[in-house]
Amino acid sequence: MSSNLTIASPVENMIKATTETNGHDPKSLISMRNIWKTYQMGTEKVHALHGVSFDIPRGEYIAIIGPSGSGKSTLMNLIGCLDTPSQGEYWLNSKNVSEMDDDELARIRNQEVGFVFQTFNLLARATALHNVELPLIYGGIGSSQRREMAKKALDAVDLTERMMHRPNELSGGQRQRVAIARALVNHPSILLADEPTGALDTHTSMEIMDLFERLHSEGNTIIVVTHEHDIAERAHRVISIRDGQIEKDERIR
Amino acid sequence: MERGGEHDAEPRRYTFAHAKLPARIRSFPLFRLTAIWEAFRVATSSLRANKLRTSLTLMGIVVGVTAVIAVVTIIKGLDKTVAQTFSSQGSTVFTVSKNPQIIKSREEFIKFNRRKDVTHDDAEAIRRLCTACWRVGIAANAVETVKYADQKAENVRIRGVDPITMFDIDGVTIDAGRIWTESEGGSGREICVVGPDILKNLFNDAAADRAIGQEIRIAGRPYMIIGVLEPLGSIFGFSRDNVVYIPYSTYQKSYGARRSLVIFTQVPEAEELEAAQDQVRTVMRNRRGHTIDDPDDEGFSLETQDVFLNLYGSATSNIYIVTIGVAAVSLVVGGIVVMNIMLVSVTERTKEIGIRKAIGARRKDILTQFLIEAVTVTAIGGAIGVGTGFGLAYVISALIGFPLLISVASAVLGVGVSSVVGIISGLWPAWRAAKLDPIEALRAE
Repeated sequence: MSSNLTIASPVENMIKATTETNGHDPKSLISMRNIWKTYQMGTEKVHALHGVSFDIPRGEYIAIIGPSGSGKSTLMNLIGCLDTPSQGEYWLNSKNVSEMDDDELARIRNQEVGFVFQTFNLLARATALHNVELPLIYGGIGSSQRREMAKKALDAVDLTERMMHRPNELSGGQRQRVAIARALVNHPSILLADEPTGALDTHTSMEIMDLFERLHSEGNTIIVVTHEHDIAERAHRVISIRDGQIEKDERIR
Repeated sequence: MERGGEHDAEPRRYTFAHAKLPARIRSFPLFRLTAIWEAFRVATSSLRANKLRTSLTLMGIVVGVTAVIAVVTIIKGLDKTVAQTFSSQGSTVFTVSKNPQIIKSREEFIKFNRRKDVTHDDAEAIRRLCTACWRVGIAANAVETVKYADQKAENVRIRGVDPITMFDIDGVTIDAGRIWTESEGGSGREICVVGPDILKNLFNDAAADRAIGQEIRIAGRPYMIIGVLEPLGSIFGFSRDNVVYIPYSTYQKSYGARRSLVIFTQVPEAEELEAAQDQVRTVMRNRRGHTIDDPDDEGFSLETQDVFLNLYGSATSNIYIVTIGVAAVSLVVGGIVVMNIMLVSVTERTKEIGIRKAIGARRKDILTQFLIEAVTVTAIGGAIGVGTGFGLAYVISALIGFPLLISVASAVLGVGVSSVVGIISGLWPAWRAAKLDPIEALRAE
């Protein structure tokens, strides 16, 4: 399972060939090079990922699919900069994330990554607006500008009227839209969704997927991690993970 | 949502002192108002969400700060009363007596009782030989029940004095009527000058003039009131106005001559006090000679008001020490409670910490948030303690009767110390929160 499965132009392949071990493709937004993630479980070493490499250009809509235990969660944590690889290089927006310390990773998560979680992960005591403002607070943005940006993000997910509501006053679909607004508010490089419809009914799921499609058409780079094929099929490219390796990497539309 | 270009719409970031501080310090959230405000909001909302827990947490801090504020305020009020009281006589008066004003043990009591009485002759000798002395007088005290018609006043201090300059030495002045004349003073007549409490207790608080010429009975003997004194007020709840002055010659008739006196000596200026004391000491040593068995004992006590001030000072400093001990214990206990609650809070909010970390909170952001939360709890506790401390001091000052001195410094100190307790007890829980792994934390429920 190597990089020759990725869809890349011959020129890109040439560049890749020269930078395979210690460089990255400067045209890619995400560049993973021979990524390993190893966990120590008691006396045993478990390889959650072994030797994963791929590139994601800016503006792509990509699904990462795999059964549970395949290593896709580990991969998602790495892409989202919540964790660093045991081995290999990860370049995100021309920054070598694999060598960063905790605070630098936090900075990257704040500026470059927008998370959308299965269980929404909103702060229960805060209003929708305050939830959306949160990444901007950690970005050190002043309150009036923060409010303006958060309102714009809520407007983009059609929740302007509900911005003073707390999560428990919102439906599942609305909560997920708040989470999407929070993910987008800081203009991140990637929108990273982990089973974004896992806690929603079919109808609401479709609404959320339609929203992702729209956000993609507006130029956002979207990565959806899922185990559901019909969700994955909405993407333009699907990377299948099995046993810690890339099984398939195909463009489907 | 419209994606901005790469470099346009880069939001302005608000930080203090941009160029001057190193980046590491500048990036610390304490230097970012936004982060502080967020932390404070989170803190207050989580405290509001757990009202009962918060109030129980506050208790230790409140008790500690209340104790300190109340005691400091009360003692400051007493200090002022004491300073005013003793400055009326000031440091120009000293006394010669058989017994010192304070006797510390039974052994001392026995020893002092073997001394010879201080007599009228001693006073005469001092008056004659002490050139630095300005006024010399004698006084003797008794405590009696005083009656007028069917009214009765108990525990009245009967003070036999001679000559009339003793009124000046005592620092009392006439409000109505007059002091006896020198010749009346020597005649042994039953006349008296009363303190305002006598009017209050025996004459239903009548005007001073109405009491003049009336006859009161002290220990069964009739005395005519010829004057009323201005009030002096009370100290530590004891009135200084519950007194009847009578001429020493009259006092002698009732109580006999074989009682030891106190000789009062006053100098015009405080600087001359020591010279006068030296002279008086010489006179008294000559008069006592070595007629006593104990060669270490002079046979008399020469004292100033400092005796009281020293006693007062050591009493209050003991109270201070005890209070500081009580406060320290309750602040330590309070701090441990706060630490415990903060640890619970961190565990309960692991998921929240995970979310915050996922969207870009750094370790120091989380650390600051929980520190501010701990400090908010203890500072609120401190503020409540300051309030109840002043309240308690107010009640006690009203009961005992001394001025209430509200000190801003002690309020600031109370809140400040409790904030420091918050920082210390919040540090470890906050550190635990800060170093949580975001992936693990997000998995928590």
